[in-house]
Amino acid sequence: MNPKMKQFADASIEKITSLENRLSGVLRPIKPRKEFVHGVAHRIQTGTPAAFVDYVSNWHIIAILIAGLISLAVFLAVVGRVLLSFLGKKRIA
Amino acid sequence: MPESEEQDTLQSASQGDLEAFGVLYEKYVDRIFNYVYYRTGNVHDAEDLTARVFYRALHHIHTYTDRGVPFSAWLYRIAHNLIANWHRDRSRHQEIPLSEAPTIHYKGAPLEVALMQTQERDSLLRLIRHLPSERQHLLILKFVEHMSNAEIGETMGRSEGAVKSLYHRTLLALRGEMEGSVLEEEPG
Repeated sequence: MNPKMKQFADASIEKITSLENRLSGVLRPIKPRKEFVHGVAHRIQTGTPAAFVDYVSNWHIIAILIAGLISLAVFLAVVGRVLLSFLGKKRIA
Repeated sequence: MPESEEQDTLQSASQGDLEAFGVLYEKYVDRIFNYVYYRTGNVHDAEDLTARVFYRALHHIHTYTDRGVPFSAWLYRIAHNLIANWHRDRSRHQEIPLSEAPTIHYKGAPLEVALMQTQERDSLLRLIRHLPSERQHLLILKFVEHMSNAEIGETMGRSEGAVKSLYHRTLLALRGEMEGSVLEEEPG
């Protein structure tokens, strides 16, 4: 390896090592609050969390249902109009 | 907890034993909290999402099948999905500043130095949170959990070599981002 390349590689390794040091200073284990940990543990033991599990998914299901109903209504309106226009033409003929 | 003991606990939990699930919860709550905290950047949402991870795990534990990967990988997967939903829901809103994060006090440092260190820490955390989720996960496992590449590989479903390579690429990307952000702050 020529000296310039070696110098570049050394500088690069130095930068990576410095970044690793900074990361180990920043990413430290954090203890959650005791009240929080015990509160969730209590809710698990008493089986109460089931009521609010997956409320986001339920919300999505409701949104899909509403969208489906609106689509169905629009579809029925279009079909209805087409049928009415056919019937009207037949009567005129 | 030895692996065989954890298998027994998992078996009991999947059959509806709440006490067994409680044992698993106690074992993993800190790890999941740390993962969620560093992915979201604030304690309030980290608590909310951590609770949801375990409620969802409890709700679906009967479907859990041992495929040779650690149980924590399953929990991390649930956490990852909930965090993805959280980011999507919040994408329309403003980001919560990291000032809500627990402050790390730098003992003995003068106020200005401490402030600069806190700012530096916040900007680095922000850059980390802009990395792809897989890379964030890797950094959290490496620096917060102090896992080896082999253990990270087991948890993330990758080989040790792939983890090593991803780690190297992550550091390079992060370094590039840092240099970019310094240039943005000091134009000219």
